[in-house]
Formats: sequence, C-alpha cells, structure tokens
Amino acid sequence: MIIVYEELRKTMKIWLTYPLALVFWTIFPILWVIPFIFQGKAFVGALSSRAFADLTGTGQYIPFVIIGAVVSTYMFSALYGIGNAFRAESYWGTLEYLIGSPAQKGFILLGKVITEGIFSTFFAISQFLIALFLFGIELSLHKILPILLIMAFLLLALYGLGIGLAGLTLLIKESRGIIHSLDNILYLFSPIRYPVEVNPITKIVSLFIPLTYALIAIRGIVLLNKPFHLLITQVIVLFLLDIAFLFFGFYTFNTLEKKVRMKGTIGHY
Amino acid sequence: MLRHYLAAINAENIKEWKIELAYPPDFIRSFIEPIIYILPFIFYGIALVGGRNSSNLARLVGSGDIITYVVLGYIVIGFLNTACWGMGWSLRKEQWFGTIETIFAAPVPRWVYIGGMAFHSTLHQGAMIGIQVLVIHLFFKIFLNLSGIIPSLLLVGLMLIALYGLGMMVAAMALIFKEGWIVSEILHSIIAVVTPIAYPLAVLPAFLREIAKFMPTTYGVLGIRHFLIGEEVFFTIPEAVLRLLAFSIGWVGFGIFIFLLVDRKVRREGTLGHY
Repeated sequence: MIIVYEELRKTMKIWLTYPLALVFWTIFPILWVIPFIFQGKAFVGALSSRAFADLTGTGQYIPFVIIGAVVSTYMFSALYGIGNAFRAESYWGTLEYLIGSPAQKGFILLGKVITEGIFSTFFAISQFLIALFLFGIELSLHKILPILLIMAFLLLALYGLGIGLAGLTLLIKESRGIIHSLDNILYLFSPIRYPVEVNPITKIVSLFIPLTYALIAIRGIVLLNKPFHLLITQVIVLFLLDIAFLFFGFYTFNTLEKKVRMKGTIGHY
Repeated sequence: MLRHYLAAINAENIKEWKIELAYPPDFIRSFIEPIIYILPFIFYGIALVGGRNSSNLARLVGSGDIITYVVLGYIVIGFLNTACWGMGWSLRKEQWFGTIETIFAAPVPRWVYIGGMAFHSTLHQGAMIGIQVLVIHLFFKIFLNLSGIIPSLLLVGLMLIALYGLGMMVAAMALIFKEGWIVSEILHSIIAVVTPIAYPLAVLPAFLREIAKFMPTTYGVLGIRHFLIGEEVFFTIPEAVLRLLAFSIGWVGFGIFIFLLVDRKVRREGTLGHY
C-alpha cells in the first residue's frame, strides 16, 4: 500500500506541476465536440435528425456526441496515461530506479492506474458539468448511480488495455505512434462520435470494444430514459469484456516486462 | 548566404526523413492514420442525413454532397498539423533526443532549423494527403471540378506560408513551456473549431464568424471548395489572395519576431537545456 500511495503522491505532484494540462483536459474534450454540432446544424438544419433517430433511437445529435466526448476521457486516460506511463519515466530518466527498486511492478502500476482513475473522473465530471451548463443536457439524480456503475466497468476494461500497452511500451519504447493510431481506431469502431450502425463493418467490429456497450447503456439511460434492467445485457457483456481485457492486460504486461528484463533493454531509449 | 541557408534547410529535411524511415511501422502508420481519422466525420454526416446528400447543405453552400464537402475541408486543414505539430513540436523532439544544444550551436540562424522542419513537414503532409484523397476516392467517389486544382494549389500555398508563421510561434512557445504539446493542441483545437472545415461559416455564431475571417485556414478551405465543388463564398478570389498575402506577411513576421525574442530570452536565462 505504501508503494501505491507514494506512486499516487508522485503522479499527483507531476500533474499539479503542469496546471495548463489540467485546464486542457477539463475543457478541450468538450471543445472537440463543437465541430460536430456545427456540422449537424449545417447538414440537417435543425437540432434533431430523423435519420439519426432511426439509427440511435434519439434524433438529438448534440447530447449524443457530448456523452461520447465525456466518456472518451477514460479512453485517453487508458491509452496515453497508463499506456505511456513507463515511457514517461524513461523520458524523465527514472525508469531504471523504478524497475530496479525492490517494489513489485504490479503495485507501481496500480498506483499509476489509481491516479489516472482519479484525474480522469475529475475531468469527466467537470466536462459533464460544463455540458450541463452550455448545452442544457438534463440528468436526474436517480440516473447517476447506474451511470457510475457502467463507467466503473468501462474503466476496468480500458485500464486493462492500458496496462497491456504499458508492457508493450517497455518493449518497443516509442509506442506513441501505436497509441495514437489505437485512439483513432477506437474513434472509428466505437460509437463515441457517430452511431456505428451506419456502416456494416464498423457495426461488427464495435461489438468487440467495451466502449460500445458502455456508450449504448449510458445513452440509453440519459437520452432514452431506459430503466437499468433493460440494459442488463450491455452491462453483462461489459463485465465479461472487463475480465478478458484485465487478463490480457496483466498477462501482456508481466510477460513483456520479464522479457525486457531478460534482454537487458530496460534502459534503452 | 541564401544558398547556405537553403542547404541547412534541406539537411534538416533529409535528417528528418532518415529518422522517420528508421521506424518503418511508424512511417507506414503516418499514411494510414489520416484515412482512419477522417472516416468518423464522414460516417457522422451520413448518419445525420441518411445518405450522402444534404438538402440543407445545398441550400447553404450550393453543393449538397456531404462526403466531398467534408473530405475537402479535412485535407486542407491537415496542413495545420504542419504548423502545430511538424514545426511547433520540432524543438521539443530535439530536447528529447538531447540534441537541441548541438543544433542551436550550428552556424545558421535558429529559424533556419524551423524552416527545415517546415519544409519536411509540408512534403510529408502533402504525401499523406495525396494518399488520403486517393483511398477515400476509391471507397466513396469524390466529385471534383478538376479545372479548379491549379488555383486551389495557389491558395493552399499562400495559406501554408501564413501557417509557417504560426508554426514559428508554437516552436517558440515550446522553448518556454517545455511541454509544448499543450500549446500545439490548444491552437490546433481552437483554429479547427473556428475554421469552417465541415460546415459553412453561416452556421457559426456571429462572434466566431468574425474570428474566422482572421484565419488563413478559412480562406484556404472555402477557396478550395469554391474552386473544386462550387461552394458559394463571402469573398471574391482576388480578395482571398490579398488577405492570404497579408496574413502570410503578418503571421510570418510576427512568428519570426516572437521566435527570436523567446530564443534570446531562454538563452539569457540559461533555460534552453531545461527539460
């Protein structure tokens, strides 16, 4: 627990050293949605689209893309925050000390994961409050608990992916490109910015991505007023994906970390 | 003197190609990624209108083909990456490699180094855009008025010069803030919202419309769509050329001024090598 706490304290300090980064992650994911709102206004000429409703159940494209933006904060956190965590240590010149310490690497990673979780939840809540204020999205209190549960499930799956990527980063070092591509792939194959049902290929691929189930369930609660029991299928699939992604993540991380240590390439740049 | 500078710019360009080619998967990825990037914008449009033609867009701009409209907007704005990332990010990369002090000690003005990055980035971005257009055309068929290509390239060229000025500024900011990606990302995001990439100016709120008129990207995007798909624009072409010329002079002048100022400041304070 001391290791987790110290890692948390250190990462917090680093975050707070760059206040501009804090402001950026609070505001900009919402700003990135604005072109989609203008695009909708230009293409449809109204705030609701019948074609969009046929695909999603709701014609209101603005709350649709805003929910996608807020939830995608966790995707960024998993890919860039956790996936790149050890690469950042490498840039700072502290990776060898960390790996060379007698602490278990899993706990170091856990500290990084918890800090990322805290910060991304702070960002997501702030973005949602901004969206409530700017775009008038309504959210009644009884909907918050099921949404939090779904978010927690999503977090586990995405962080499983992030942990796997952290292992990959130890091996190939410069993984920023791969992570950036993965970010674009997730944007394409999950309904963050558009309903994936619009194309048969994206529709099929999206079935293997946890973001799909989380977004369908959250939008179902917020936009379609669906009761939680009608979304139980999505939640169960999400839970199963959690198990798969966490297993994949830890297995990949442990295997690759061992491999890198055996090869003696930890300190390579 | 000029030949000396051009040789340095070309050396920088060659060095950057060599570094990129040293990582083949990353190099290949840079050509595939723009295609993946643009697809959600196209699919979003199709989901909104239920096909590829929007009567509302046709009413606003004179062309209702949403796919061609969106693709043209995003390929032009791709050059914004040259300024914000290719140039702006270049000094931070050198800091990571531990080579910034060596480069800054070379017997050429420091802006020449940024010029080299601009040259390289324009070539790389141009190739990326070429492949992007080709692949999107194969899958979706883009309908263009081919006779508009040459005047479009002229406008892109002018827009690029103005964006180089922005790149100089971003590169300077990276020397101060160190974690310069935030500066790049903030500027890129703001310009991308204000520029009518996938929508006409008419849908922007009045204050954003006014800001958009001061962006070279607005004239680049609208001018090119005017030539290639007949978009109705609020300016005449000579007006667009004059404004882009003015932006080029103003932005490049300001960019170099800021860069030289910051360069002197960090050297005086001894913080050039700070991480």
